Amino acid sequence: MNIENTQSQMRKGVLEYCILSIIKRGEAYPGDIIDEMKNAGLQLLEGTLYPLLNRLKNSEILTYRWVESNSGPPRKYFSLTEKGLEFYKLLETTWNELAAGVNAVTNKPEQNKQQS
Amino acid sequence: MKKVININFQGQVIAIEETAFEILSQYIDNLKAYFSREECGDEIVNDIENRIAELFGNRLKLGFNCITDEDVESILASIGKPEDFDTDYDESSDSTSGEKQSSFQSKKESESSKEDQTRLYRNSNDKIIAGVCSGLGYHFKIDPVWFRLAFILLFSVLFWVYIILWIVLKPKPLESNASKRLYRNPTDRIIGGVCGGIATYFKIDSWIPRLIFAAPLLLNIIGMSSFSFFPWNKFFDNVHFNFEFNFSVFLVYIVLWIIIPKATTVKQKLEMMGEEEYIKSIRTAVSDNVANAKSKSDIEVSQYQSSTLLSEDLNFDDKKTALPPPPPKDSATLKKTVSEPSERSGCLNAFIVLFKIIFFGFVGIFALLVIAALCALLFAGAAMMPLKALFIDAGMETNLLIFSAILIFVIPLIALVLWIIPNLLKNAKSRTIVGIVAALFWFLGVSLAGMLATRVANKFKVDSVNEKNIDIAPFAGNTLHVEMARYGNDYNMFDTAFGITSDINGLPFYNLNEDSLLFANINLQVTQSEDSLFQVRMISSISSTDLRKAKSDLKDFSFPVLQKDSILYLPEFFVTPVEQGFRNQNMVVEIAVPAGKTAVLSDDLDNYRENVIPKIVRRRYKRYSEIYDRPPVDTTNVPNSERKVSQGELETDNI
Repeated sequence: MNIENTQSQMRKGVLEYCILSIIKRGEAYPGDIIDEMKNAGLQLLEGTLYPLLNRLKNSEILTYRWVESNSGPPRKYFSLTEKGLEFYKLLETTWNELAAGVNAVTNKPEQNKQQS
Repeated sequence: MKKVININFQGQVIAIEETAFEILSQYIDNLKAYFSREECGDEIVNDIENRIAELFGNRLKLGFNCITDEDVESILASIGKPEDFDTDYDESSDSTSGEKQSSFQSKKESESSKEDQTRLYRNSNDKIIAGVCSGLGYHFKIDPVWFRLAFILLFSVLFWVYIILWIVLKPKPLESNASKRLYRNPTDRIIGGVCGGIATYFKIDSWIPRLIFAAPLLLNIIGMSSFSFFPWNKFFDNVHFNFEFNFSVFLVYIVLWIIIPKATTVKQKLEMMGEEEYIKSIRTAVSDNVANAKSKSDIEVSQYQSSTLLSEDLNFDDKKTALPPPPPKDSATLKKTVSEPSERSGCLNAFIVLFKIIFFGFVGIFALLVIAALCALLFAGAAMMPLKALFIDAGMETNLLIFSAILIFVIPLIALVLWIIPNLLKNAKSRTIVGIVAALFWFLGVSLAGMLATRVANKFKVDSVNEKNIDIAPFAGNTLHVEMARYGNDYNMFDTAFGITSDINGLPFYNLNEDSLLFANINLQVTQSEDSLFQVRMISSISSTDLRKAKSDLKDFSFPVLQKDSILYLPEFFVTPVEQGFRNQNMVVEIAVPAGKTAVLSDDLDNYRENVIPKIVRRRYKRYSEIYDRPPVDTTNVPNSERKVSQGELETDNI
């Protein structure tokens, strides 16, 4: 079993949820998303982010509009669609259940092992 | 010291170090390749380019003059290498990790390649046949073109060396490391850019090599005109200057075209021009570019230009067009001048078009000639089929012939097809194993053919000669008339393939009967007789594997001579059994004329094909004539109407 592989599997699962929650707060462009993720200590490569955004856009979860930038080329600002909002809510409940469940399982003291 | 160039990247003019630009364009190519699998891959690449442009812009805003290698490296590290992306949800986790490992390994390998420069490899990056020359060039840090030339000029000697190196050396992608290389110059070309490249290499004007290459053609055109304006016309005609010289110059051009690579990337152009020259050209180009960038119209243009223009070296083209500086009135015209080569005067243009027409005409004719030669070979092979039996026994030797013919002719055909099809499908993978196997089979075919050739040559190993004397019965009168007795039976002309029969006269000097071979290669000699009688001597010769067989074969010769009073009939052919095959059978008929008498030869006897005495008989003759030192024959009274034959050539002909 490869540790790197397991780690990246874990990270992949929550990546979409994180990105969508950033976008849900308000329109965001990829540079913002990267910065915010980095500040939160979650490493994210542009090379990973852009294809992901592209896929979400293609499945009509995200939409974007061009905004002129005074520094450099125009930017794509992403926002959630109706469908995206539903999608996000589903993800949210799933995550909450998952987080609670995982915490419950992993944080239990070791006594139960001896009992059984 | 580093060179800085301006690029138009996502609508922004960015000053970037040239090496950094190389890294960047390499990276973007990788991205394109990586995302080509993805839906809307172009859009993703475009977005990423956009992001890079923005990061560049931020960097430049901080007050840095240009983008350096380090900047690019750090930005690319934050974006990530394609192999680090976690995009492949769909693929199983095992395969992604496998990919990662393999890419990691390949990285390791490329690092190690830098370490052991001492080993000799075949270069799989820059190859024409197998990359042997290129690998040699890398090893000795010399332009591979010189190795290629050496291999071509000394083809016969170095052919095997090349094949052995091909087999022994391992292929490896190598970067070229010669400081200056001969390239074809894509910006200064008329046909293939060969002359332009040579001119750049030797730092001369490009019309000099061009004139050298075009000179024979021009002289030809001059020579074609019927006016003898030029005194050298006749001289050139006399030395057959026209075709051969023309052709060889043409061939040299083609060879150079093939062996000299085209300079496409910036690095290659740098190697082509040498560093100083390139800096100069860049300097002029950059200054032009900056001036252009300041004008408003250029910004408009930049929006029209797709991001793919990045990978092209715009400035370099600009340099050529810069001579008549194009006023950028609107975007369309400017774009046009960028993409097209410099304008030429109408006359020159017409000349170039003419030259191209002539050139491609030559190529077409050459291709047709090759095809015609192949067809001729095929027909000739079919035509020779009936003759096969005369040289080659049934059984083992026939099998040898068939196998070697198949291997020699079919293997290259298969190899060619195998090579062409993937190339047409743009799916070119190096299939060295197929090549090696095909080469091995081909050499097997050649060696079988060699075996066959030695076996056939063996049949001509031993020569034997037989002599037979016929006394002519005495008759009244002093003149002997020698006539030809026509062969009464039918004989076949050679029935060549496809219902074409060829004329007997056109073919070698023998014909086929059902059970006999008819030979007309008879040499007729007239000599002085020792006594007062006419004599006829027949000397026949044959080659064979051994002497005993030769002797017994000689006995089977049939050449019946008939005398009717003063007329002597010689047969049209001498006849041997067909089983003998062709073994260099020959016959000399010698008519000895006594002193004071005359022999008159009929014109029909001209049909005998052999004009000179066969070598093997001549050897025998020499000894003969030394023993009997005979005086020349008297040929006084001969009728006018008939050809008189004097004797005496014989001794002079002997060597």
